[in-house]
Amino acid sequence: MMFLPIWKRSSSIKAIAILAIAGAECLLGQTSILKAPIPSVSDSWPTYNGDYSGRRYSALTQINKSNVKSLKLAWAYQTHAATLKSTPLEVHGIVYFTVPDRVWALDAKTGQQIWEFRRTSEGDHTGQRGVAFYKGRIYFGTPDAHLLCLDARNGKKLWDVKVADTSLGYYLSIAPLIVNGLVVVGTSDDIMAVRHFIEALDWETGKVIWRTSTLAEPGTPAAKTWPNDKAMSHGGGSAWITGTYDPYLNLIYWGTGNPHPVLAGAGRAGDNLYTCSILALNADTGAIVWSFQTSPHDTHDWDSVETPVLFDAEFKGKPRKLIAQASRNGYFFVLDRQTGEHLLTSQYVPTNWAKGIDSKGSPIPDPAKEPQPDGLLLRGAQGGGTNWMSPSFDPETGLFYVNVRKGYSLWHLDADAKSPPEDNHGGGSIALFTTSVLLALDYRTGEIRWQRESGLGLAYPGILTTAGHLLFTGDISGNLLALDPSNGHVLWHTRPGGVLNSAPMTYQLNRTQYILTGIDGVLYAWNLSGSL
Amino acid sequence: MSVLRQFVKLCIPLCLAAQLLAVDAVAQPNPMKKENVQRGKTKFQQNCAECHGNEAMGGAGPNLLESPLVRHDNNGNLIAPVIREGRVDKGMPAFPLMNQADILNIAAFLHARIEASNGVKSSTAVLDHALKQFLTGSAEAGRKYFYGKGHCATCHSPRGDLAGIASRYSPMRLEARFLYPPHDNVMAIVSLPSGKQINGNLLHLDAFYVAILDEDGWYRSWPLQQVKVEVKDPLAEHLELLGQYKNKDVHDVFAYLETLK
Repeated sequence: MMFLPIWKRSSSIKAIAILAIAGAECLLGQTSILKAPIPSVSDSWPTYNGDYSGRRYSALTQINKSNVKSLKLAWAYQTHAATLKSTPLEVHGIVYFTVPDRVWALDAKTGQQIWEFRRTSEGDHTGQRGVAFYKGRIYFGTPDAHLLCLDARNGKKLWDVKVADTSLGYYLSIAPLIVNGLVVVGTSDDIMAVRHFIEALDWETGKVIWRTSTLAEPGTPAAKTWPNDKAMSHGGGSAWITGTYDPYLNLIYWGTGNPHPVLAGAGRAGDNLYTCSILALNADTGAIVWSFQTSPHDTHDWDSVETPVLFDAEFKGKPRKLIAQASRNGYFFVLDRQTGEHLLTSQYVPTNWAKGIDSKGSPIPDPAKEPQPDGLLLRGAQGGGTNWMSPSFDPETGLFYVNVRKGYSLWHLDADAKSPPEDNHGGGSIALFTTSVLLALDYRTGEIRWQRESGLGLAYPGILTTAGHLLFTGDISGNLLALDPSNGHVLWHTRPGGVLNSAPMTYQLNRTQYILTGIDGVLYAWNLSGSL
Repeated sequence: MSVLRQFVKLCIPLCLAAQLLAVDAVAQPNPMKKENVQRGKTKFQQNCAECHGNEAMGGAGPNLLESPLVRHDNNGNLIAPVIREGRVDKGMPAFPLMNQADILNIAAFLHARIEASNGVKSSTAVLDHALKQFLTGSAEAGRKYFYGKGHCATCHSPRGDLAGIASRYSPMRLEARFLYPPHDNVMAIVSLPSGKQINGNLLHLDAFYVAILDEDGWYRSWPLQQVKVEVKDPLAEHLELLGQYKNKDVHDVFAYLETLK
């Protein structure tokens, strides 16, 4: 098939102008209705998402629309390791990044290794999204579900606490989130019959301060969304992508994964709270302040863990504290992040698993589209409309960017499974046809403002936007890209010899801005001079 | 010697030699133990199924039950390097950190799947059971769809390319294959500025360049701004039909194809 590089449906110059002013005010620190209360990241990149908001938008401008065509390789670091799925941090001139069981610290100017930490472990090695930094310490989750605290100067282990029992299937792939001296993590796994949770540990000692289950507590109204406590107590709900945080509301936002067994819903009639939901948690106690379910009674593995992105902007003429998620189920959601009030639900890729939208804004699953013993043909890619690849929100364009998949898939209910449903998916799915696309969504309407074909098949490229009017990402065809975020036009591209399966990030040191991209097992740094 | 026996015989010394071997694997003399196959299945579904399908029968990536490499594998000797090093040129990532026990369990799962699929071909009981699950449509309605609405007969013939197709594939594979067969034979016609046209198998096409294998078998590529490219995807009709099938059509066509033994 022919690729259609750019398709621009419409433009809204007025809206862009308004938001561009808002962005400028933000940079100048002036007060404004539209001023982002969560500071933008600039010189450093100290957290998984850069800042607390999950926008992955940097205020740096040295590399910009007019000069990005001169971007050059500054350094590369060969890990000889697994595909890089972590977003590196940059703090005080040191870059920290990971694969499962390993952490590296590099000189951010040269790529010279400062230290490497290794710890062989049991457990699931699917991925490692990165570390957290706090007061000179590095926090690192392991495949056997331990949380480690390392000395950021030398990689020496300071403590090691067991967060969950890996023999039950738990593991930690997440980059921890630091909030008020708490190290917040969520547990991974979607095969086993366990109860997942989000946990906050003391930064200094590793002592558990609070733990919130992603499944309803027995006796609560939410427990009525399960047929019985037994199904609920084994109901999954992993929490495997780093959440976001609003320091002014003191709320942590965290997405939750599929119920269990994911493809077989018969034994868990009901909505199955709080699986496939966005949770707002009190940062001090972990209490669930509000929740919104993106996929009630999921039977397709539509994890709702994708980054819930925070930004302040007008919605229907009213200034709002917003939270937006392009969810794996193919729907884009915008909510008021203070109250959880639903504002928008729109489909960003064609899919037919739902038969409508309910009064709360959640899609209504169509029982006829659940996996069947003889096979169910579904409109929608096998792994969902998107996955863990990080989206980005650019306050200047007002657009929400996300790499997505479109296609068709075939779903079988495993009626002949000899194993108990507690330790399998309850079925399987086959990707029939999948194509990847980068979308720019208007948060006010869900409308696709422009899109760029990425290629046939699957990849996991994250996205970075900057105040230099740039969007960095990769495509499935092996290109690293800098695009104009207002229209998707290619401003720079190169072939780094592999596919981007993590999110680009940026920082500035000694008046030089760097862009970092992990390609397979190599970390590449790009800048305008190509040298120190 | 069966694959299973070779696997059992050769697996144990390899296990003992493995540097990163998990303790529980050392303690288990039979690598094809149900528990190992189940562990391999879990590991496979976590790491491999997104491309190769939950049952290893293919999806975006190839069907591993048909893979000559997997079928010739002894004790993971061929599978392990592919898992560790990947096939980056074909889009498969490397898993260099996967420990030997996990790799052997995945190999056990794949070999168990092959044994099972061989069993499907030879065991009437298993075949009936699998078919019963899939045969929910009407073969007659499927035949009508094949010659009518589906326009399948434009390219396919039950006595030609489809003769005996039901005997060649397991029910689940047949269902997935007729909906959208795995293929790599997309053709392209590249028109040069001189007006000359070059035909070949499309190898790459993105926003920047096109690459083909020309009729003489040579790799050729051009920047997109220099040429015009016309792509002929033999599966374009299959893709169009994916958007048109009702689920009943899928099961009717399957029931019809299942009569072509």
